[in-house]
Amino acid sequence: MAKQPKSTMSRALVRRETISGYMFLLPSLIFFVGFVIIPMFVCIFNSLTDVNMNTAGMGNFVGLKNFTDLWQDATFKEALWNTFVIVIVSVPTVCAFSLWVSSAIYKLNGKLLSAFRCIFYLPVVTGSVAVTVVWKWMYDNYTGIFNYVLKDGLHIIDKNINWLGDPKYALGCIILILFTTSVGQPIVLYVSALGNVDQSLVEAAQVDGATNLQVFWKIKWPQMMPTTLYILVITTINSFQCFALIQLLTQGGSGTNTVMYYIYYTAFKLTEKAGHFGYANAMGVILAIFIGLLSALQFKLAKEK
Amino acid sequence: MKITSNRSKAYRIFSLIVLILLAVAFTFPLYWIVTGAFKTGQDIYAQTPHLWPTEWTMANFEKLFSRRSAPLFEIGALVGPTVPGVIRWLVNTVFMAVMAMLLTCITAAMAGYALAKKRFVGRTLLFSLIVCAMALPKQVILIPLLREMSALHLWDTLWAVIFPTVGWPFGVFLMKQFAEGIPGEILEAARVDGAGEVRTFATIVLPMVKPGIGALAIFTFINSWNDYFMQLVMLASNANFTISLGISTMQAETSVDLGLLMSGAALAAVPIIIVFLIFQKYFTQGITMGAVKG
Amino acid sequence: MKKMKRILALTMALVMVMALAACGGKDEPAPDTTTPDEPTETTQEITLWTYPIGNWGKEDVVNELMAQFEADTGIKVKVEYLAYADGDDKVNSAISANGAPDLIMEGPERLVANWGAKGYMVDLADLLDDTDKTEINAAALTACTTADGKVYEYPVVMTAHCMAINKNAFEEAGALQYVDLENHTWTTDNFVKAVEALYAHYGQTVGAVFCAGQGGDQGTRALINNLYGGTFTSADHSAYTWNDPENIQALELLKGMDGIEFDASLQGGDEIVKFYQGILKMAFCWNIAQQLDPNAAGTGAEKTITGEDIAFMSFPSETGESKLCGGIWGFGIFDNGDAAKIEAAKTFIKYFCDSEHTADAVKAANYFAVRDTAEGTDLSGIWADNAIMAEYNKLMPYLGDYYQVTGGWAQARTSWWNMLQDIGEGADIASTVDTFMAEANAAING
Repeated sequence: MAKQPKSTMSRALVRRETISGYMFLLPSLIFFVGFVIIPMFVCIFNSLTDVNMNTAGMGNFVGLKNFTDLWQDATFKEALWNTFVIVIVSVPTVCAFSLWVSSAIYKLNGKLLSAFRCIFYLPVVTGSVAVTVVWKWMYDNYTGIFNYVLKDGLHIIDKNINWLGDPKYALGCIILILFTTSVGQPIVLYVSALGNVDQSLVEAAQVDGATNLQVFWKIKWPQMMPTTLYILVITTINSFQCFALIQLLTQGGSGTNTVMYYIYYTAFKLTEKAGHFGYANAMGVILAIFIGLLSALQFKLAKEK
Repeated sequence: MKITSNRSKAYRIFSLIVLILLAVAFTFPLYWIVTGAFKTGQDIYAQTPHLWPTEWTMANFEKLFSRRSAPLFEIGALVGPTVPGVIRWLVNTVFMAVMAMLLTCITAAMAGYALAKKRFVGRTLLFSLIVCAMALPKQVILIPLLREMSALHLWDTLWAVIFPTVGWPFGVFLMKQFAEGIPGEILEAARVDGAGEVRTFATIVLPMVKPGIGALAIFTFINSWNDYFMQLVMLASNANFTISLGISTMQAETSVDLGLLMSGAALAAVPIIIVFLIFQKYFTQGITMGAVKG
Repeated sequence: MKKMKRILALTMALVMVMALAACGGKDEPAPDTTTPDEPTETTQEITLWTYPIGNWGKEDVVNELMAQFEADTGIKVKVEYLAYADGDDKVNSAISANGAPDLIMEGPERLVANWGAKGYMVDLADLLDDTDKTEINAAALTACTTADGKVYEYPVVMTAHCMAINKNAFEEAGALQYVDLENHTWTTDNFVKAVEALYAHYGQTVGAVFCAGQGGDQGTRALINNLYGGTFTSADHSAYTWNDPENIQALELLKGMDGIEFDASLQGGDEIVKFYQGILKMAFCWNIAQQLDPNAAGTGAEKTITGEDIAFMSFPSETGESKLCGGIWGFGIFDNGDAAKIEAAKTFIKYFCDSEHTADAVKAANYFAVRDTAEGTDLSGIWADNAIMAEYNKLMPYLGDYYQVTGGWAQARTSWWNMLQDIGEGADIASTVDTFMAEANAAING
């Protein structure tokens, strides 16, 4: 690593490094700036205007009107809350679940281990569109397999549950699908982290009479901290990728609206708000701030550890 | 001591049973898609689920293949033979995913190396931008992106989906993690030997970050294959559809015909799963190595 | 490792081929933009986006029509097929990306009340001479015309939306006595009795007030309006009138009935599946296209997947004479600023809506023609040899007011299913209706 502090580098060196650095960055920056950063700034700018589908140019500057309107918009508040719930519920459960699965499989022999790893990765690979086709049927109010098993198989319920139609369950159902498509990578990561734990420390602790649980929390867990943080980051990213599920399963109904869906809905659905791009962009800005705070928090945690 | 070992044995058996149940649950959707694709209408619409087709049929695939048609390829004035739409969708999807993968790997490997090993002005700012943008869902920039693609005359082409995928900075972040593992002395030695930047990158950096590139490649490929949202917004004509978009459009058209949907979903899922299974080993290697640095 | 390299090489080779293939895809729009410079050289090409209106959603049928059209006029039509679930989004994003099609096929609620009102469509008044105006069904033409006389849709077919019952199930439950299968009508009292009988027999939901989205909502609207004679909008289409006491009464009746469920997991299309599956014994989202459809399992027209008989019915009302929701479909032209394309699109409309070829367009749609004659061709006998269509014609006199062009229509549809969801969840009916009706009314002028 080029650890030498900046001050000792000569000016010429800095310039050379900067030039060559940017040469290497250039191809990536073209795409990053062109298709992420510029749109992001346009988004921020548009959120302060009344630009809509009809406006060819930039629209009129309206200040913070879109944001104050959003504050009054009950649907948006619900969507924001649901987005929050999805993150808060799915991130820890994905982490805990994948940790448990990994600790249960990492000592298995190679073939079995890799079989399990693959199986838990399958839903990620299958893709949300293909997966929703099945899940829609599994959740079906009349002929779905969940109701079939719970009612005719186990006799736990006596009336079919309308999984996707009932606001009590619908968001949970979406989170469950999201969950199955999120655990694949964390499991792979935890398996290898567990395998890399310093065995001499573990053995020393066992000699001292520590229980398995103690060994886990005192020795293994701290060593896996970097992995856990990385998993937190990717799982958070993943929990914002539930658009397809909502678009294909509930269209934002039954209390499953999210900001991601509501932006699309406002922009393109045939409603009175349709094509109010300024308004939709304002939601985008709020969502970006929300995510920015979340990432900042996670990286702060990462720095501290 | 005996008690604990009994207990831990019981726990191990218990956890194995739970694992097997979970494995069944996780494979079930795929199982259902694949068997469903070969079921007759009567089986699919039966009021109690039929776990195994009572009669195997190709009828769903026949319907799927006759539903839409498109030329196999279009290169300028050269237009390929007319094939079922789904075949064209598969061709499009493979092209899109592979292009996104290649461009991402190339640009991210270079950028990751620069971020990890070069000390240049604006590095910290750039890195924080990258970290912040990583979690950003595409919906946030949807509208500006749509208008930008329209202005660039890229709307309704696969490039409108590919470019934002390449722009997503996760790859850069990942490659930076890998490049940080390259010892500075090696690079220094190369410089002393008079190797230019390009040669250093090609002969020293690239081989050392190869596992990372492998992981990023598969990762991007899968992501791009399944990136339904951008495809939905950016692609309008049937001939430019990807397989996910084609299937979801069919779902929207006829939620009525589950058999057709199952066969489509099977066709969308099976190729990517095969790719994954082939490269699985490199993939697990790659993502684990990238995470160590977290 | 060697194997790995071989696989990699193979993938690379594949990529190269694909790259070539898709570069073509990318270049494709280019010829379009260059053609105006050399107008004599190539044939005109226009795009048509169509919603699944009967067989206008089926490629083989449409291809045949387009081939004929191209042979006759030299105009090539590139057709894209939209779905109801995301078709609107597609059109809207296309408009935003300056990629709207030249022609679009749908009903006035979208073409006139939405895209027309927003100024994206071309006025087609010049296509209508006095003969056309007398030939075309007056109600249909009115629906396609805005208040200031602009025609944004040239109508071609129409139908009445109705409901359907599972005849075998009704018979088994002893409920067949409550329906008049000869005239396809029934009274509200008989509807209630029939549902009671069905529920007593099957002990499960037999009819669903579906409200997962706006798909097929004409069914729930017609059901609720007809039960006690309520209306959806005022007669002059200036306000939504969902809180009519009649509508409230109907909602209360439905909410309180065993066997009827407000189901927020179904849209119209899903309801039809459940009906075809034999689970629901009646479908509120129905019309002649479904009646003719041999269904996904291929058991034949007028049959469920389980092989039971389907009868179409008008919605129950106190007198038995209900007001059915109409469906009108036709073509509109997006104003993309290219006079030549607009001209070609008008040729298309003239060809399929007002010429000897109109019969083909109507047949493809599986609905009834909006006019009896087109340029001297008699259209009244198109369906003479089709017994199901002839029978369905009995419902056409019940066609009610075409209120789907009321201002704020898109918002009204959204509010409607949201309202039904809330009511289904147990919200107080009168106040919920008031809230959502106010939302729809607020959208009328803006």
